[in-house]
Amino acid sequence: MAIYNSIRCNWKHEENLVGNEQGARWMKKLMEPYVFVNAWRFLMVGVLIHLWIIGDSMSSSFILILLLLITTSLRWRFPLPIWFVFIDVFICSLYFPYTAISYYGLALPIFELARKGKALFSLVLFSVLFFTSVSSSILFWFFFQALFFGVFSYIAIKNQEEYRLDVDEQRRARYELEKIKTDLLEANQLVSQEAELMERYRISRELHDHLGHDLTGASLALQAYEYVQDPKEAETLLQEVKNRLERSTKNLRETVHNMTPITQIGVERLEKIMQSFYQVEIKYQKSGNMLTVPAYIWGLLESCLKEALTNVARHSNATKVEIDLQVTESIVRLSIQDNGTVKKNSLSGSGLRSLQMRSRSMGGSLAISNRENGFILVCVIPLEKES
Amino acid sequence: MRVLSTIKFTALRMIRNYIVLILLLVVPIILITFFSFILSGVVTENGVPYINENAMIMVLVFQLFGGSIVMYLIYHDLFTENKMRMYALPFNQTMYAFSIMLCGALYSILLGILLMVYSQFVLGVIWKNWFWMIYIISLMAILSIIVCLIFTFSVKNYKIAERLSELYGVGFVVLAGLFFPLPRNAIFDFLGSYGNPLTLSMGAIRDMSLTNTSSAWFQANILLGVIAILFMVMLLLGRRRIG
Amino acid sequence: MTVFKFALKRSFSNIANLVFLTLFPVACIFLPRGEEWPFLPYGYQYFGIIILFIGIRLAAIILEDREKGVVKRLAVAPISHFNYLSQNLLAYSVILILQCAIVVYGGVLFGQELYQPGWLFLLYVSFSFASLAIALAWISIYRKKDVAFLIYMSLIFIVVVLGGLIIPVEMFPDLLKRMAVILPTYWLGQGLNWVVFGEEILDFLIINGVLWLYTIVFVVIGSTRKI
Repeated sequence: MAIYNSIRCNWKHEENLVGNEQGARWMKKLMEPYVFVNAWRFLMVGVLIHLWIIGDSMSSSFILILLLLITTSLRWRFPLPIWFVFIDVFICSLYFPYTAISYYGLALPIFELARKGKALFSLVLFSVLFFTSVSSSILFWFFFQALFFGVFSYIAIKNQEEYRLDVDEQRRARYELEKIKTDLLEANQLVSQEAELMERYRISRELHDHLGHDLTGASLALQAYEYVQDPKEAETLLQEVKNRLERSTKNLRETVHNMTPITQIGVERLEKIMQSFYQVEIKYQKSGNMLTVPAYIWGLLESCLKEALTNVARHSNATKVEIDLQVTESIVRLSIQDNGTVKKNSLSGSGLRSLQMRSRSMGGSLAISNRENGFILVCVIPLEKES
Repeated sequence: MRVLSTIKFTALRMIRNYIVLILLLVVPIILITFFSFILSGVVTENGVPYINENAMIMVLVFQLFGGSIVMYLIYHDLFTENKMRMYALPFNQTMYAFSIMLCGALYSILLGILLMVYSQFVLGVIWKNWFWMIYIISLMAILSIIVCLIFTFSVKNYKIAERLSELYGVGFVVLAGLFFPLPRNAIFDFLGSYGNPLTLSMGAIRDMSLTNTSSAWFQANILLGVIAILFMVMLLLGRRRIG
Repeated sequence: MTVFKFALKRSFSNIANLVFLTLFPVACIFLPRGEEWPFLPYGYQYFGIIILFIGIRLAAIILEDREKGVVKRLAVAPISHFNYLSQNLLAYSVILILQCAIVVYGGVLFGQELYQPGWLFLLYVSFSFASLAIALAWISIYRKKDVAFLIYMSLIFIVVVLGGLIIPVEMFPDLLKRMAVILPTYWLGQGLNWVVFGEEILDFLIINGVLWLYTIVFVVIGSTRKI
């Protein structure tokens, strides 16, 4: 029963996920584009500090870097409005006469503008290139990479937003589908109960219409027979009773015959499936009163049996299958066990999963487990007490 | 000797403790490197480059803190977290404590040697007498471990014992006059010379490099004597807490 | 101001903190003068190191709250994170300012030559705030108090040496001299020099301004709420 194995593997996989949750969360955090945006911002401050160290500007111009560091860390902590870049530009422009680092510092507002999708505005800042005393070609490329990365992160973040919305939509749709599915399963159960009630009603009416009339007549005739003195009249009455009983017997036979379904249902259906399964030897046992099991449960048990046997035939190397069906006052239990050994690379068990879902919707459970001597499937469904 | 089989794991636990590695290896490496930048070209009155002196001081200073890992392991294994497990094991707990001490000493010496190797091959510090240096380092490491364990055994509150062990390290560095000159009186003079393991070991190494062997051995033997006495004290205190 | 009151009480609650918060600063007053360098008595040169240690010890109380889940409980309590943080920081600032005052004016009473005690006090206060802010940013990275403290301790060693508090900056090679400027301890050293030699008040204000900028940067970085 390789499919069970695959499900087991899935469970294992999920356990691993729980174990690596911390690591996975870290990975997820690292994959966020905002992490890279912030890293870029602080890297730029690092570049400015480097420029300051290798340059020869005054100690007091280090304040420029500190001020830019403040705006950067503010951006890191809070989502700031777009006009905040003017503060960066203003801080830098204050230091234009004193240090060349202020020109490099303009890369930060250029990046922020581009990141907000205002790349065209940031081109205005490029005009500084014409006034500066520092090597304008290097400065150009420096600005350009800021612009480039800004545009890139703008696109990345925008795409991420869209994907997120899309995923949310799909998730909602999936939840709705799942809800509809459970609703359907419940409706299925209800309909089957309803159908049974209707059928009972039909049977009772049929019996009442066809048998009741004659039987009542016969019974009345028999009562009258006790009081009749005249033997000839008694003879006719008896004859009448006889006729009526004969007719009702015939009617009963006809009614029963008419109402007996031609297709097999319930336990017979299960047995039929087993008989037609000839690939592997089957050992079958049953106990309890099968008639207390309602039709919708039979449907599930039938699907379980079919699925399990199909899996045995398709994926397993088992030679023997043991099937055990027990009905007690409160539950139905179907267990299917084989003696196959584990096989890897099995397909996903979507069939079994849907069966699990169906059994859960009936308040029961479907368990699959791997033992040393084969796989075992146990389906337990509670029986509802008739109120 | 079942204790022997635990040594591997004790060693692993020590190596995996990255905070100790940062404190006792990375910080001194950064400091030695930094000082060698600043002090390159400066020579002491004996004509020795000042970086040699400085590297020696750094290696010895950080030996003062070498006992913290042993303290940590013994406290966790024999007093608190793993106490019940350790006492349930079929081995001699005292021997286990000694094995941790031994590992700690070896680890601390190893870190010292790593520092020496680094300063010799990367920074060009010349160590005159490797064996003497390692011997002194071992003495310092063992002394530090014993002192830390005395604190652990004698003070109820482990946090305070930890602070005391830090105080032992920082205090003797201060008393050796490495931060600022101390006022000159009998007590401070004693604590700045023969009453201070740091100055003793520094003196022993200096004297050995000046081929002043008898003085060097004298100072090293004072250390050894102190270790012997404190070892007895530690045994007495430890017997009440272990076993 | 409940948080403020309890933050004050807690700061003095354990022995190690008590030693850090009272004994060490007072000991600073009595340290002797150097011969050529430092220009102020040793205690005043090294008080910066003690301020750094006190900063992390105080900030570690916030980390302890996080470790023990107090922050989680506060998150559902009718008190904002801003309230909690600002009142804590206020309490710590009060402690630090008091210490600075004791050290500076105790020194004046003891008879140490401090040149301009008023400005020195202002400098220590600015540096205390910077130290507190850095410690706050530092603990926001960690979940374990001991780990944060030990690694910060080794960081202090390096920052103090590289910033020129233990060795005069003038001795540094050129590259290190410029790198030292990045560290707040450098500005403290410059401020101490100004207290001895300084004339231009603007220079001193710039030095304090830089320390305040450091404070702002690190408070912004360190004020994130981590649960």
